[in-house]
Amino acid sequence: MEAVELRIPSSESFLEAVQVFVEKIGASFGVRGDETTSLSIAVLELVKNAMEHGNDMDPDKHVTITISRQPGRIDFQIVDTGTWQPEKEPGYEPGEGEKLFSSRGRGVLIARNLARWVEFDLDPNGKTRAKLVWPLV
Amino acid sequence: MKIHEEMKGDVLKIRLSGKVIGGPELVELKETFQNAVNHDRLKVLLDLGGVTWMDSSGLGVIVSGHTTLSRADGEMKILNATKKIHELFIITKLITVFDTYTDEEEALQSFEE
Repeated sequence: MEAVELRIPSSESFLEAVQVFVEKIGASFGVRGDETTSLSIAVLELVKNAMEHGNDMDPDKHVTITISRQPGRIDFQIVDTGTWQPEKEPGYEPGEGEKLFSSRGRGVLIARNLARWVEFDLDPNGKTRAKLVWPLV
Repeated sequence: MKIHEEMKGDVLKIRLSGKVIGGPELVELKETFQNAVNHDRLKVLLDLGGVTWMDSSGLGVIVSGHTTLSRADGEMKILNATKKIHELFIITKLITVFDTYTDEEEALQSFEE
């Protein structure tokens, strides 16, 4: 197994660097062609959620991204410093009804549709962890 | 991200290019839509053909622009959404909100219908 860890402050100014990094590491692990763009979109949706909902966009609070290559897939873990659990919030219906016209709330929906698997739990330290699985064809 | 504005008759064509990734640039885009309304330019054609990367933040500002224009009895249509962006419109069901075109003349003509 190959693994890489990236720890970044919660600031939008780091997003493009993360996007480039994820695409390069994805390509090096075997993600092909323009699928690297879908991969970086999915991962950045989760990173932005972690920055905003877990760390309140406080640059002193970090988001840790762990990327590991497994047989036939790449596993991503995105951990923030909060304890939020997005899918346990009431009324979580992205893209439905009035929320269709909301300017927010589509990140998890997009990540889940682009990736093979996305789930949330708490890591062993009790902090919110998003897990994303990307299959390697 | 770069924003280029151009009048095509009475239609304001806004062309975006580069990465739509968040931060101050999205504020600028939101202001571009508001300025269109402020200047009574209520027919907006948003050209996404030059966009190389976009996520939910960019979609959110586009929806916000759509709402801003609709409240002023204006309308926004989408031109040249790339395959990836079109996929995002489908995932989020925004494809049901926006008229999308791949031909500019057809798009411009549609504002007259």
